[in-house]
Parts: sequence; structure tokens; C-alpha cells
Amino acid sequence: MTERQIEKETYAVRHESGLWANEFGALGPYRPGVGPRSNPKGWFPTGPDVGERLPDIVATSHTGDTVDVHALRGGGPAVVVFYRSAVW
Amino acid sequence: MALSYDEVDALADYAQEHDVTFPLLSDPDFEIIRRFGILNTLIDPDDHPWYGIPFPGTYVIDADGVVTAKFFENNLFLRPSSEQLLRAALGDEIELEPLSERPTEVLVDVAIGDDPIGVGVLHDLIVRFAVPEGLHLYGEPVPDGMVATAVDFDEDEGLVVRPAIFPPTVDHTLAGTGEVLHIFEGDVTVRVPITHNGRSMQWRDDGSTFIAVRGTVRWQACDDDVCHLPQRHRFELEVEAKPINMFERDRAEDSERMDFKRHFARMSHRRQA
Repeated sequence: MTERQIEKETYAVRHESGLWANEFGALGPYRPGVGPRSNPKGWFPTGPDVGERLPDIVATSHTGDTVDVHALRGGGPAVVVFYRSAVW
Repeated sequence: MALSYDEVDALADYAQEHDVTFPLLSDPDFEIIRRFGILNTLIDPDDHPWYGIPFPGTYVIDADGVVTAKFFENNLFLRPSSEQLLRAALGDEIELEPLSERPTEVLVDVAIGDDPIGVGVLHDLIVRFAVPEGLHLYGEPVPDGMVATAVDFDEDEGLVVRPAIFPPTVDHTLAGTGEVLHIFEGDVTVRVPITHNGRSMQWRDDGSTFIAVRGTVRWQACDDDVCHLPQRHRFELEVEAKPINMFERDRAEDSERMDFKRHFARMSHRRQA
């Protein structure tokens, strides 16, 4: 099976401030297409689909406890966010 | 719950600074991110410390653990608002009143929630139609010469508009021709996720800030025999907006600022080792 190709979004405009704007006009020090602004253009994978069970997640939390997402939500709905970093 | 590739102590500092009341999960070797298939592979594995972040997104799951909605954008700037997530998880908190019980013409209303919009945080502009019985509007694709229901925004460098979310259409077969049209009937609600990048902020005398959201709603109403002329409805909303994102706004009062530099250096060092 060949892996589906992910293209990189490289649209960038240099702003008068010296910062770089991406395709949404958002300014940042990194040129779009580089480092933390290595963003996909067009299709990119988004994991489990609507209608599928969320795969198990067991991880250490900020309090040092081991958390099992499906156990913790206790039979209720939940929102699970995958984000870049708490540090930057 | 939220998951990132940070170490536990970095998450602990962040949680303290922002008064976070839900678990922040640590995936320092991005094993879970990889298993979900959402590791950002556009970043070179040697590009420290960026390598290891996911394509950012949010899953809403129901009581059975089944994904009922996903919010993914291709970049770190755009993100869903709590308003959008709560609606996806719990349904509309406020049932929208019908525009009219028995409309005699197509009625249109354009509105947005009261929460101020932070930079990059997406909120839904809600466009509602009340379509009289016997009439319908069109979804894409439409036959030549007909006008599909659409929400267009005036050119504005500060406004960010994502694709509109339409309700499902109903197939409607034209008697005699067998042609199938895709229509909307009754009460129709369209949501358009919007945000801003800070470039079109306006200031009031009292120091409060807003963005002007301007545009045009277009539609064409028909019954089985006759089509009315295409219609348009201009809207212009003054929407409360903040020049900063949620990250800054949600910092707890009197909290100690976390030492980003130390964590960043450690994170880079560990990855290079």
C-alpha cells in the first residue's frame, strides 16, 4: 500500500513588521512551510472518523496520575484535544 | 481532556498558570499521536523540538466513546471555540426560536453568539431561513441558471471565513423531467465558522474592541411550478473581538508565569540526545 502524499502549504507573505503571514493573514516569526509552521495543503490525516470508537488513550496527566480517557469520562461524552504544546 | 508531546512537569506548570481543571495528558514520545495517525510528518525528524506535534485537532465523543464530531484545521492558528465544542458535545443549549410559525415569504436572520472572538478562535455565524410550506431553496449543485443558497462575505483582510456547514439536502425529483434537485425546506440553519487575525480590529471610545462582519446571503425560492427571482439579504454585524487569543486571555490572575524557556531548552535537549 502506498502512503497517501501530504503536500506542504508554503503560501507566505512578508509583512512590513518583518513577520510572515500565512494564507489566513496570521503573523508569525517563522515563514510558513518551516518548523512549527510546516502545515499541510489540501488533504491531511485526521485520525479516527466520525462514527468510529475513539481508540484507547492511556497516558500520564499533569498531576502524575495515569489516565484512561474512556474510563475517566465515566460513561459520559467528552472532548479530546490534540494540540501542539503547553510550552510554545 | 487535552494531549500534547510535553513532559509532565511542563503540563503541571501550565495547568497551574492557567487554572486548568481537566487532565492534560503527556505523550512525550508521541506514541499516541502516531497511533492516531496524526503525527505531523511534514516536519523533519531532526527538526527539534518541532518534530512530534500532531496535525492539531479535536474529537467530540458521545457516551459510548464514539466520535460524533471532529474539528481539524491545517494550521496552529485556527482552533474551535468552547462554544462550538459545547454545541457539538451537548447540542444547542438554547433552542432557536422559529423565525415565524407560518411564514408567507422566505425570512432570513443572521446572528452570532455573544462571546468575544479571540484571534484565530472560530465561532459560528448562524444564518437561518424560514421557508414557507410548498417552497424550497437549493443546495449545491444547482442546474444552470438557478441560484444555490450561499453566504458571501465582503472583502476584509482581517476576517477569516471557513467553509459553510449546510444541513443535509433533500432529493426532489421534478415531475416529468426526472431531474433530481437538492433542496432545503422549512427551517434551515447554516453555520459559517469565522474568526479574525487581528488586522481589522476597531476600537470604540470606551476602549472595547470589535470587528465588523459584512456580507450577503443569497438564495432562490421555488415551488413545483414557479421559481421566484433570486434574492439577497445584506448583513452587517458588530462582533465583540479581542486582539489576543484564548491562551493569553485565560491566564489565571496572580499566577506565576511558567518558565517557558527552561522547558523549551529541556525539550530540545531531550530530543537531540
